[in-house]
Amino acid sequence: MSNQEKTKFEPKVLAFLCTWCTYAGADLAGVSRLQYPPNIRNIRVLCSATVSPHHILKAFAKGADGVMVGGCHIGDCHYLKGNWMTVKRMNFIQDLIDFVGLDSGRLHLDWISAAEGPKFAQVVTDFTKKVKDMGKAESTSAGLADA
Amino acid sequence: MREHVEKLLEEGKVDAVLGQRNLGGFPFPFIYTKENISDTAEDFVAGMRYPMPKIFLAMHRDNPDKTFGVVVRGCEERALNEMLKWNQIEADKVVKLGYACSQTQAEACECREPYPTEVLLGDKVDPVAKSERVAEVDELDLGARLDWWKSHFNRCMRCYACRDVCPVCFCKECSLEEPDLIPTEMLPPDMTFHLVRAVHMAGKCIDCGMCEEICSVHIPLRVLFKKVRDIVSETFDYTPGKVDGKSPFNMLGDAVEFSPRPL
Repeated sequence: MSNQEKTKFEPKVLAFLCTWCTYAGADLAGVSRLQYPPNIRNIRVLCSATVSPHHILKAFAKGADGVMVGGCHIGDCHYLKGNWMTVKRMNFIQDLIDFVGLDSGRLHLDWISAAEGPKFAQVVTDFTKKVKDMGKAESTSAGLADA
Repeated sequence: MREHVEKLLEEGKVDAVLGQRNLGGFPFPFIYTKENISDTAEDFVAGMRYPMPKIFLAMHRDNPDKTFGVVVRGCEERALNEMLKWNQIEADKVVKLGYACSQTQAEACECREPYPTEVLLGDKVDPVAKSERVAEVDELDLGARLDWWKSHFNRCMRCYACRDVCPVCFCKECSLEEPDLIPTEMLPPDMTFHLVRAVHMAGKCIDCGMCEEICSVHIPLRVLFKKVRDIVSETFDYTPGKVDGKSPFNMLGDAVEFSPRPL
């Protein structure tokens, strides 16, 4: 990808945000009028642990260049143990997609509490920039090219 | 083995024994009872691989009050242990009758434990510590790995044989059958199909290799699932198939030491 193409390329970033912490954090970032890239598409989920591997992999299959999952800090989970599962699952999925040749850097998990609006803006900015530098994601279609 | 089985049946400790039997020159899974045990002089092991734990699971679900003996290899014993841990079978309804695999089989499977804990037939052979097949894929760079996997996944015709034969795929509802998640009109299915199955296998896969053996288009699934096992044992220090210990992916697991990976 040439430099010119890179500057033109706008990645699609899908974010699954836990309604109790990160979504509220995103809200705080919004009402505080913090700037962050518009590449992110937020999806509110009840708990970061409800984000199934299906959701993440389907996002990549449908052309997302990056997927972010936001949850409460460990110990703050509204459902007590939900994010324990999230972090284990995400660590595993990152290793797994790396083994099949997909870039694990395109999947990011972060803990962002409802009070961390500036952190939300920062993480989204950094992650979008990272994905932008990586370029377009590889297709996960197993069929022959463009079949 | 034979005396042991006969004694169990005679004493009524088991109602039937699930093993294999040569019928017309072909090995089949066979249910031995007190009545038909004298028909054959063989040792319940006919050399073919069948999903014995899965057959047992079906028998157990149909006859929850009966006790069965099951003739098992190392991997099949691990499968039964895993079913037990995930509350699919009852411990006192199964008697494991173990036999050891041959060295050739162990090497073909790159098996890390080609024998059950209690061996009634055969001798324990040397396990294979490291999988060459996984190492070969690991050595490729990212793009080449993706091409390699796609070159295999593109043959998939979504027959679900890998799932149906898998001893630890025991769910009654399967997310892979949801048309919204796995579109039915798309063939070969997206890589999601195999990757989601791999995620569900984490902390469960006991590396019996039935999925690869049954696959009619020879997708090297065992390489994927051996890697799944490796990741789980490296990251979580857990090996599925042992009698004790709980999967890290169990909802009621212990507190975690992990933190999200940095950007």
